[in-house]
Amino acid sequence: MGVTRMLEGNEAAAWGAKLARAEVVPAYPITPQTELISTIASFIANGEMKAQYIKVEGEHTAMAAAIGASAAGARVFTASASQGIVFMEEALWMPPGMRLPIVMCMVNRALAPIGGLRPDHNDSLLQRDTGWIQFYCENSQEILDTIIQAYKIGEDKRVYLPVAVCYDGYFASATAIPTNIPDQKDVDDFLPPYKHEMYNLIPGEVKTRREFPQNIAKARYEVQKATERAKGVIEEVDKSYDDKMGRYYGGALEEYACDDVEAVLMTMGSMTGTARDVIDEMQADGKRIGLIKMRCFRPFPTEELRKFAKKYKVIGVVDRNTSYGSASGSGIVAIEVARALYSLDDRPLLLNFHVGLGGSDVTMRQLKYIGDKILDAYQTGKAEDEADWVELRDLGEVM
Amino acid sequence: MEINKLFDEYYEKSLFQGGSTCCPGCGGPMFWRMALEAIGSNSIIYGDGPCAGCAIRNIKLPTFSIHFSFAADGATGIVAALNAKGRNDVTVISAAGDGATGDISFGKISAAAERNENMIQICIDNEAYMNTGIQKSGLTPFGAWTTTTPQGKEAPKKRIPMIIAQHRVPYVATISVAYPRDLKAKITKAKSISGFKYLHTVMPCPTGWRFDPAKSVEVVRLGVETWAWPLYEVENGVLRLTLKPKQRPIEDYLKAQARFRHLTKEQIDYIQQEVNNERQRLLDLDGKSIIT
Repeated sequence: MGVTRMLEGNEAAAWGAKLARAEVVPAYPITPQTELISTIASFIANGEMKAQYIKVEGEHTAMAAAIGASAAGARVFTASASQGIVFMEEALWMPPGMRLPIVMCMVNRALAPIGGLRPDHNDSLLQRDTGWIQFYCENSQEILDTIIQAYKIGEDKRVYLPVAVCYDGYFASATAIPTNIPDQKDVDDFLPPYKHEMYNLIPGEVKTRREFPQNIAKARYEVQKATERAKGVIEEVDKSYDDKMGRYYGGALEEYACDDVEAVLMTMGSMTGTARDVIDEMQADGKRIGLIKMRCFRPFPTEELRKFAKKYKVIGVVDRNTSYGSASGSGIVAIEVARALYSLDDRPLLLNFHVGLGGSDVTMRQLKYIGDKILDAYQTGKAEDEADWVELRDLGEVM
Repeated sequence: MEINKLFDEYYEKSLFQGGSTCCPGCGGPMFWRMALEAIGSNSIIYGDGPCAGCAIRNIKLPTFSIHFSFAADGATGIVAALNAKGRNDVTVISAAGDGATGDISFGKISAAAERNENMIQICIDNEAYMNTGIQKSGLTPFGAWTTTTPQGKEAPKKRIPMIIAQHRVPYVATISVAYPRDLKAKITKAKSISGFKYLHTVMPCPTGWRFDPAKSVEVVRLGVETWAWPLYEVENGVLRLTLKPKQRPIEDYLKAQARFRHLTKEQIDYIQQEVNNERQRLLDLDGKSIIT
C-alpha cells in the first residue's frame, strides 16, 4: 500500500532512512548527496523522524561517528560521494572487520582531477575490497527499497556487515519518478529494531570484549565467510520484501528480456534504464540481444552469473569506471566477470566497453553501438581483447 | 601474605587491571588507575593510538578504539547512540595522545569542542610519537631531542588547552599524575558538567624522555614546580590557577631528562624566559576571563 509521490533519488533515500528508523545520522555535505542529508535534517526538525543528526566536520569523522554509534547499539545511516568517500576510506575499512551493520548511500560522482560533479563508479568501486556489501540502484524506487533491505541484510546475524547503497549522482539522485512510499507499519513488521548479538558498549550490557585477533587470517576469513553468507540472505530478503511490499529486484542480478537470446549486455546503475529501452528497440528490430543488470557487486554474484553464462555465447560488460593499466584495459566490473567466467569449461566471449566517464551521458546511440558490437562478436565468434572507449568514437547525433 | 591479600583486594576493586604492556615507568597505567577512581564504572572509555591504547586495553570497562586519526569522533557517535537510547547517565571518556590531539586529529577535537559534545576529552601527552619510536609531534617542547629532531625541536609546543578554551567550552583543565588529588578533583568536576570538557596531562615517558623509570613522578612534579606544566582550570572562560608553587629554575626539569642534555646555556636561558613570560601571563589572568 503506502502512498506514491514524485521523489528524487536523494529524497527517496531520505525516506528509506526514515522508514528504517535510523537512530543516528552523522553526515557531511557533498554534491550530489546534499539533498539527501538536508531532507533528513528537515524530517528531524519537523519531528517526523526521531534521530540524532551529527553535523560533523568531514567525511572521515562522519564514518568514525557512525562506527562509534553502531558499536554502542544504534541503527546508523550516513551518505557521501566522490572525494568524500575517498576521504573516509580509512574509516570505511573498520565496520566490516568490526562487523557493524552501518548503511551508507554512496551517491556516485567522478573523482578529481579528471572528473567533475557528475557520476561514474570509481568512487564506490574503489571500496570493493573493504568488505562492504555494495548495491547499485537504478532509480528512486529501488533506492528507497534497497535501503530498507540493506538494514535487514546487514543486521542479519549470519551477516553483520555494513551495506553501501550506491546510485548515480543526478541521473538517479536528482531525477524524480513516481515512488511508492511503504506504510511505516509494514516496514516495522519487515525490519525489527536493531540489536547486535555479538557485542555492544552500553555499561552493564557488555556481551563480549573485543579482543585483538590472535590469528589474522582466521579473523579475515570470518569476514569473507560472512560476505559469502550474505549472498543467500540478499536473495531471501529481496523475496520476503516482495511478499510484503510487492516489489522484487532479482536479488543480485536481474535478467531483462533474456528469453531466447544468446548475447547480452551487462550494465550497472542508472544507465540500466536507458539500456532497457535500447534492448526493447533492438529486439523490435529483430536483433536477439538481452540485458543483465548487476545490482549487487559485493558480494560478487559468482554462482548466479555462472548459471546465466551457460545460456549465453557473448557477454558485453559496460563499465562506467576506469582502472588504468588493468588487464586488457578492462573496467572493474569486466575484470570481476572475467574471473567468475574463467572457471567454466565452456566460456562465453567477453567484451568490455567504457562509457559515461566523468558523468557524460550514456546515450541510446552508444548502447546501440555496443549492442551491435556484441552481436558482431556473436556472429563471428571473435571478440576484441582491448576494452572499447566508446565515448572517443564519433557516433553522430545523441539520440 | 597479608600484603598479597591487600593487593588482591585492591586489584579486585580497581577498574584498571595489572600487567599492562606499557613500558616500565610509563605514566599511562598510573594515570588511568587514578582517573578511573573518579570516572567510575558507569562509563565508556573511547581511545586511540598505540601508547594510550596499551593502557586502555587493561581498563575493566567497555572500551572502544579505532586508530589515532580518530580522536573524539568515535566518542561522538557513542554519545549520539546514548542520546538516542535516553541513556544520559553514562559518562563518555575520549582519550587521545599528543600526536592525535596536536597533529592528525586536531581538527576532530576542535570540531567536537565546537559541537559541545557531551564527553570528557583527555589528552595523554608524552610529548612525541613514543610508540612508533620517539618522533617529534606538535606537542614536543622546544629544544627536545627526538629521532626526527636529532638537534632539538625548533618550534615551541602548541598550547592546546588554551586553544580549546577559546572554543568557549564549559571546562578545560591541566592535570598531572604527580598531583593525584588535583587530578581526581578535576575529573569529578568535569563529570558534573554537561557538554565538552577537556583535560590535558603531560605524561612521564622514561623511554622517550630518557630518564630512570623509577623517577617518573619526580620528573613530572619538577615540570609543575618549574612552571613548565602549570596546573590550572578554565571554567566558563574564567582561568584559575589551581596550584601556584614556588618557582624552581627550569634547568632542574631539563637536567632530569637526557632529551634536553644537548641544550646550550643560551637555549636554556631562552626556555627560562618563555616559562617566566607564561607564568606571569597566567598569574595576571588568574581569576579573569581569558576568552578573546
